[in-house]
Amino acid sequence: MKILRALLWVAPGVFVLAAPVFLDRGALNDLWSLALAVTLASAWNILGGFAGQVSLGYSAFIGIGAYTTALLSLRGVNPFLTLPLAAALAAIFSVIIGLPAFRLRGPYFTIATIGVGEAVRVCAATVSFTGGSSGLRMPAGSFDFNHNYFSMVGLAIVTVAVAAWVKRSVLGRALSAIRQDIDAAEALGVNSTVFKLAAHALSAAIVAIAGSLYAINFQYIAPSSVFDFQLSLSIVLMPIIGGVGSVAGPILGALIVSTLQIKLLTLPALRDSFLFIYGGLLILVMMFEPKGLVGIGRRAWVFVTTFRSRRSVADAG
Amino acid sequence: MQQFVSVLLNSLLSAGLYATMAYGLAVIYGVMRIINLAHAGVMMLGAYVTFALFTRFALDPFIGLVIVGPLFFLFGVILYQVFGRRMAGSGNAPSIESLLLLFGVWLVLQNTAYIIWTGDTQSILTSYTMKSMKIAGVRLGLPSIFVFLASVASLVFLNVLLTRTYLGKAIRAVTQNRDAARLSGVNARRISGIAFGLGTAFAGVAGAMLSVLMAFTPDFGRSFLLKSFCIIVLGGMESVTGVAAGALVLALLENGLATYTSVPTSLQDAVSFAMLFIALVALPRGLPGLLARFERKAATR
Repeated sequence: MKILRALLWVAPGVFVLAAPVFLDRGALNDLWSLALAVTLASAWNILGGFAGQVSLGYSAFIGIGAYTTALLSLRGVNPFLTLPLAAALAAIFSVIIGLPAFRLRGPYFTIATIGVGEAVRVCAATVSFTGGSSGLRMPAGSFDFNHNYFSMVGLAIVTVAVAAWVKRSVLGRALSAIRQDIDAAEALGVNSTVFKLAAHALSAAIVAIAGSLYAINFQYIAPSSVFDFQLSLSIVLMPIIGGVGSVAGPILGALIVSTLQIKLLTLPALRDSFLFIYGGLLILVMMFEPKGLVGIGRRAWVFVTTFRSRRSVADAG
Repeated sequence: MQQFVSVLLNSLLSAGLYATMAYGLAVIYGVMRIINLAHAGVMMLGAYVTFALFTRFALDPFIGLVIVGPLFFLFGVILYQVFGRRMAGSGNAPSIESLLLLFGVWLVLQNTAYIIWTGDTQSILTSYTMKSMKIAGVRLGLPSIFVFLASVASLVFLNVLLTRTYLGKAIRAVTQNRDAARLSGVNARRISGIAFGLGTAFAGVAGAMLSVLMAFTPDFGRSFLLKSFCIIVLGGMESVTGVAAGALVLALLENGLATYTSVPTSLQDAVSFAMLFIALVALPRGLPGLLARFERKAATR
């Protein structure tokens, strides 16, 4: 059983790493998008899922990463060397935002993060050194899809591993206590602000690196692409559909959402309205199973096991 | 001086509209303790319904309000019937689940509009859209004056409803203390449904009035939603006068910044978003809370 479980985690990793050998460029592009989605969803889940702090402002961190990389590359720095700086800047920004914002609880925090995300986007579109609303183009000749593919997939695998590690660590237990009852956690001596800030900084750093890789792969960024509210939205949607608070949930959600996006974007009739389906999914999940696909799976598992044990009891009697 | 009067009058005019749109959010928050993210979608829908009435039946937007108001009240009641199970106010803290649920509703509304009306920018051009008149030496657009008058009318209607009728008293009772209200025989579920309808109606009316003042797309409404949040946070979430004061403060801030500083207009939205953040963090009980704190300080001295 344990081996089967481990295989379930290792096999997809091996598959995506070996994929360039036998898949064509189009499929690899889709896998790149999937890896990006898994990274964003799993990183968001560290704060939003484990600690229950739902933030709708994560596009700010993608933007910080993407712009750090683009601006430095234009000054001649190797794009991949800018990743640590992007991560550090995003982490610092996350602490600056988090210090006041974490005084707010639940939905008030969520609304404050919408405000932050929008304010950052408007600023990026107005300030001149970011190229304003027309955006920035990466320097020519810095594109190598193989590098991009392996770095994105590598980041996704590292992120999932980090999320799994966090969930088991002291940090994860503290975050879980904060999610369940912040007052009780504080009373037991958990410094909720410090742990929330740590989770925020960790996930912001990962998301910023993803933003950098986004800039490197797409070669062009603008406030309307990397600071977009819809981006913040899909980051939140993936873990929610898959199941917040688990390690597998965001991966499942990312798989569904990015498949939908790849399939739907090719239908011209739905190009403007694929958010309709996001909204519908959000409503369905919230109405019927707020724990997402993982919750449904767990219910099915409980149903099957109790059914089996009931039958074995009946057979014995 | 002239400039100052101009800022003051323009702020007052926008404050009326701001108060109407924020009040829709405040009444729902007060009664049900939920943050209605679908508000933005409803405002957008209000604008498009007014647009449809105007283009199909040549109905003046302000006469259209008579239809838009009741229509959106009904729409809100239906929304409550469908989603109320998950939104039911349990405890005093709003839940993340209801927030995300209403977020989903917003997305569905927004994209229904994309399907029906496409993403093109629309606007309503009436015979008085470009006209203006001079008040106290300041030239003011006729549409914004009409919008102000309509806003004041709807706020007066609301105030009479809240203070003079059983329904209004019940709404205030549930806002103050849900359990106590239920103990004294108020049907809190029904009141919640009506309050949700009322809030939705105000959002629809606000959207209808916005459609007279500016061009709109299905995506419009988000910045107004954030402004509404900013106002109800400033206004202390639940009182009509607080909301009006919050609206005036935001409008003065926006107009003042645009007139007296060189902050580019494209940054104006960022100002109100930053204001929202600061208000949430620094004034958790809004301006009334701040006043109360000052009063207490003065009393202890």
